Amino acid sequence: MLEVRAIDAAYGDVQVLSGLSLQVQEKEIVTLLGSNGAGKTTTLRCITGLLAPRKGEVTFKNQPLSKVAASERAGLGIALVPEGRELWPQLTVRENLELGAYDKRSRARAAQNLDRVHAMFPRLLERRSQVAGSLSGGEQQMCAIGRALMSEPSLLLLDEPSLGLAPIVVEQVFEVIRSLHASGMTILLVEQNLAAALEIATRGYVIETGQVKLSGSASELKADPKIRAAYLGL
Amino acid sequence: MRHFKRVVGLKLSRIVELIINSVLLAGLYATMAYGLGLIYGVLRIVNLAHGGVIMAGAYAGWYLHELGVDPYLSLVPVGVASFFLGVVMYRGLVYRLPRGAAGGVQSLLLLFGLWLILRNIAYLLFTGNDQTLRTGYSTKAVTLAGELVSVNRMAVFAVAILILIILHILLTQTYVGKAIRAVAQNPDSCTLVGIRVERIYSLTFGLGTALAAIAGLLGATLFPFNPGFGSSELLKSFVVVVLGGLGSVAGTAIAALILAVAEVFPTAIPGFPTYLTAAVGFVLLVLVLVLRPGGLFGQRVLG
Repeated sequence: MLEVRAIDAAYGDVQVLSGLSLQVQEKEIVTLLGSNGAGKTTTLRCITGLLAPRKGEVTFKNQPLSKVAASERAGLGIALVPEGRELWPQLTVRENLELGAYDKRSRARAAQNLDRVHAMFPRLLERRSQVAGSLSGGEQQMCAIGRALMSEPSLLLLDEPSLGLAPIVVEQVFEVIRSLHASGMTILLVEQNLAAALEIATRGYVIETGQVKLSGSASELKADPKIRAAYLGL
Repeated sequence: MRHFKRVVGLKLSRIVELIINSVLLAGLYATMAYGLGLIYGVLRIVNLAHGGVIMAGAYAGWYLHELGVDPYLSLVPVGVASFFLGVVMYRGLVYRLPRGAAGGVQSLLLLFGLWLILRNIAYLLFTGNDQTLRTGYSTKAVTLAGELVSVNRMAVFAVAILILIILHILLTQTYVGKAIRAVAQNPDSCTLVGIRVERIYSLTFGLGTALAAIAGLLGATLFPFNPGFGSSELLKSFVVVVLGGLGSVAGTAIAALILAVAEVFPTAIPGFPTYLTAAVGFVLLVLVLVLRPGGLFGQRVLG
């Protein structure tokens, strides 16, 4: 469904990705692992179009994305839950969700999808008239996931959804990701929390300094001695 | 005792008159300030051409009136034309400048230059003489709460309030209005949900420009003007934006009322020199910047 082929990306003179490749098949949940600054968020920015790769290509459902503007990609079925949520803090929860369905394709079914998101996160219904900036961290994460779901994506990208949340809330977030996957959603999950990510993922990539260092099924990666030493502290 | 009563009675009616004057003036102030605040809130650009557009709106209304069009009928064509003028200004000029903090100086200089060009075109076309827009109802007045009030000033107020209500509905009830507010708060998140941010920028610049031109046209029915018209209006717009914060229609309205009250009430003081009225805005601006730099209602941006 998603194929990233040997992309280079840079911010000004600072090269962040060099020849990074990865694939996500339909209905998979793939995790992208690595330490801070390895290039995980940059990879997602190249997929969503917020950053144009200098070399290489991203294709989605066999369509090259290089000529597709970032604002058109929601319409193709790509949605991102960004790192740090990036909600509109002074809009209400309801408005944040509504704008998730801004794209024409999803706007027609906005009311129906709003009900679905409310059923999934009853908290968001309770807090619909509050501004998003006044929500707790966990609620904001729910709101960011809900906003992404409002566009009925076929590929959901999640960037560090557990960052800065209390352990019990992290569990809830992972439970939500698991149930989305169970309902047939294709997911690319970026995480620093390797143990939790490998619990729910089918496959994973480990990236270091902008390149894929290791890849394999979740169980292979969990068993890999290098990973156990470097990331899991075992 | 009887003497005292008479003084109080006089004062009361004088106060009513001052209040009516302030409220009527505030409508115009809110309209012209909202255009400046909207552009700043969404694009982070101080539109120094705002004063020039106010002046252009005044001349457009005056010119159309010379051709026999009532200024209130001109509102729609002048509003639409200046909307497109704003879009062209954005796409043709502002769009090409560097963005963010680095672009601040460039956009200030560019828009200031644009103002000078607009002003000099007006000198060329209309000379520097004062013009007035006199209609058949310019001197008509009705009695309101025991005071004689100009029909035209009430009409200006009504139009201003109508525009603010329409803006409020646009920004809070429509997809595109919510997108404008969202772009002001986080443009990248907007791109991710499919909002074409550049389009919103064009639209916002057009809306802000249209508001300035409409305010200029309304102002032309009240005050004499020349090509220098718009500079003190720009200053007053700054005061209202700083006082009222960015984007909230209600905040802008209250701030406009405060400025109007501060300008109108001192005129009741016997011997108060009228030329000091123009300084009231400056004093208010300095006071707010020193005492409440975030504005009276805090730092909300198009909330």
